[in-house]
Amino acid sequence: MGVDLATTSMSTVREDRLMKRVFLSPAVVILFALSVFPLIWSLGISFTDMQRGGSTIARQAEAEGITEGVGFLGMGFELTGRNYQRLIGDTRLHSTVRNTMVYVFFGVIIQYVIGIGLATVLNQPFRGRNLVRVIFLMPMMITPVAAAYTGRMFFDSNALRSPLAHFLRQLSKTLQLEQTISVPWFTDISWAPIAILLIDAWQWIPFMTLILLAGMQSIPEDIYEAARVDGANVLQIFWRITLPILFPISMTVILIRGLEIFKIIDVIVVTTGGGPGSATESLTLYIFEQALSNGNYGYASAIAYILLILVIVFASVFLAVGRRWSGSWER
Amino acid sequence: MPKPKRKRLLPRSSRRALWQSAILYLIVIVWCFIVLFPFYWLVTTSVKRPIDVSRGPNYIPYVDFDPIPDHWQEMFGSQRESTLRHFRNSLIAATGSTLLSVIIGAMAGYGLSRFRYYWGRLGWDNDNIAFWIISQRFLPPAIFIVPFVLLYNQFGMIDTYIGLILAYTMFNIPFAVWIMRDFFNGLPIDLEESARVDGATRWQAFYRIVLPLSAPGLVAVAIFSFIFSWNEYLFALMLTNFNAITMPVLIAGQNNTRGIEWWFISALTLTAVAPVIIIGLLLERFITRGLTAGAIKG
Repeated sequence: MGVDLATTSMSTVREDRLMKRVFLSPAVVILFALSVFPLIWSLGISFTDMQRGGSTIARQAEAEGITEGVGFLGMGFELTGRNYQRLIGDTRLHSTVRNTMVYVFFGVIIQYVIGIGLATVLNQPFRGRNLVRVIFLMPMMITPVAAAYTGRMFFDSNALRSPLAHFLRQLSKTLQLEQTISVPWFTDISWAPIAILLIDAWQWIPFMTLILLAGMQSIPEDIYEAARVDGANVLQIFWRITLPILFPISMTVILIRGLEIFKIIDVIVVTTGGGPGSATESLTLYIFEQALSNGNYGYASAIAYILLILVIVFASVFLAVGRRWSGSWER
Repeated sequence: MPKPKRKRLLPRSSRRALWQSAILYLIVIVWCFIVLFPFYWLVTTSVKRPIDVSRGPNYIPYVDFDPIPDHWQEMFGSQRESTLRHFRNSLIAATGSTLLSVIIGAMAGYGLSRFRYYWGRLGWDNDNIAFWIISQRFLPPAIFIVPFVLLYNQFGMIDTYIGLILAYTMFNIPFAVWIMRDFFNGLPIDLEESARVDGATRWQAFYRIVLPLSAPGLVAVAIFSFIFSWNEYLFALMLTNFNAITMPVLIAGQNNTRGIEWWFISALTLTAVAPVIIIGLLLERFITRGLTAGAIKG
């Protein structure tokens, strides 16, 4: 290093000072223009009465024949806190918040538990393991819209169309049940979220599995060997060794999946469209509808900020709890 | 390499019992069935007559039903123009955004790996900047709906390729920077330095020496960017209305335009997922490596 510094001439130092900006700038410029600026802008919009085709106040003024100098600083809209007041009484919003939390909470649990189970299985050597790994990748490559359509065919409750309903009917015949088992997947308010959770799980369990598997494969064999010598059984090894070592990776994948599930919209649009009622509607879908179907830009932005706060709270609580747990595990 | 490791994993004394092997294979086969059956169902549905779809369920071609190529012929026949146009839109949006993301991501990743930055006003160094960039990946996209619609209307970018490409690039950059920075950190610095001593400029060192060495990282970034952009739904729905509509939006809209014609939707869905599945099968090791690099080191 010292030699390099000595041979580095003044001109390369100056060049580097320029180049370090050149390398980083494109990314920073795009993120500022398309992420930071919109973020701040939409915070501003959430405090106005802006709507598609002008604001309420601008339209009133137009009806009275005034076109200029309307509203806040004559900019054609009004500053108001009404959007945030409206949040409190909006029962549809409350149910979308609840649905979103249900998707995140149960989605993460289902996917993690099955994911780590499958990873444990795949961590055993067996024939065709590479082929299985490739097969595992398939669901997570495809667009959620495709997964949702396939799920819709599968969870159709008509036994003449859906293989699942057909299977359930055959099952109840074989067991000689009095009533045929038939699940109203997309039409019942308690089954519909489950169907959506299952479709999302089908698509993303492989993601959990592959990453946890990579984590398991990086655990040195000596540790297991030592535990076995001490007489630990399979379950003890899993609880006392595998899980604690995988803890940081587990936190990361759960956090990633949790944050991704907060964004869920495509599966819902294709399967239930948010219904029945608003039993499956997610926050993202509700924001989309407020913004683009109803054109309520101000209100949609206010809801979007609620979503952002939920996401930040989720991530911070998760990281804080994670840090504490990992501390207690080390002791 | 794997041979001796496998032996160590299975010492003679603790060789699996038969029933353990049986359970292992059973779980693997059941899960593979769960993963593969929906794909099988898509393929068979796309060659069924409508009556075979609604009066079934019919499982095995030539046994339960006679497959017909009609829906595929329709898609590439009377619907040819629509199918190809949407496919091309997806291809342009995904490829454009992939190129931009790889270039910009590699540059920023290299910068963060080789230079020392200090944003005085915020007191941020390289790690802070990198963390800020990756945190953008996790912002809920819903928060961008209103500002993007207003911004794109303002600049006439609704329903244009460049609009979609820019939006997807914004979403892809954080992950691209993160992976590339990680990759460059693992690359020895000596080669560049000796090149620079020999008179190469910083850019030449980056372009001629560092980039060729980082092909695996670049491929991983390209795959992820492409797949994300190819599959994206929300922004495609919101920023396009006719000319630039992509495959996911086309498929999701089938519901309203054609009713539930499962046979046609299945064929269309298969067309939309075919490219990414092929990429996945061909480049599996890059994907697994990229995924684990992103999650484990992150």
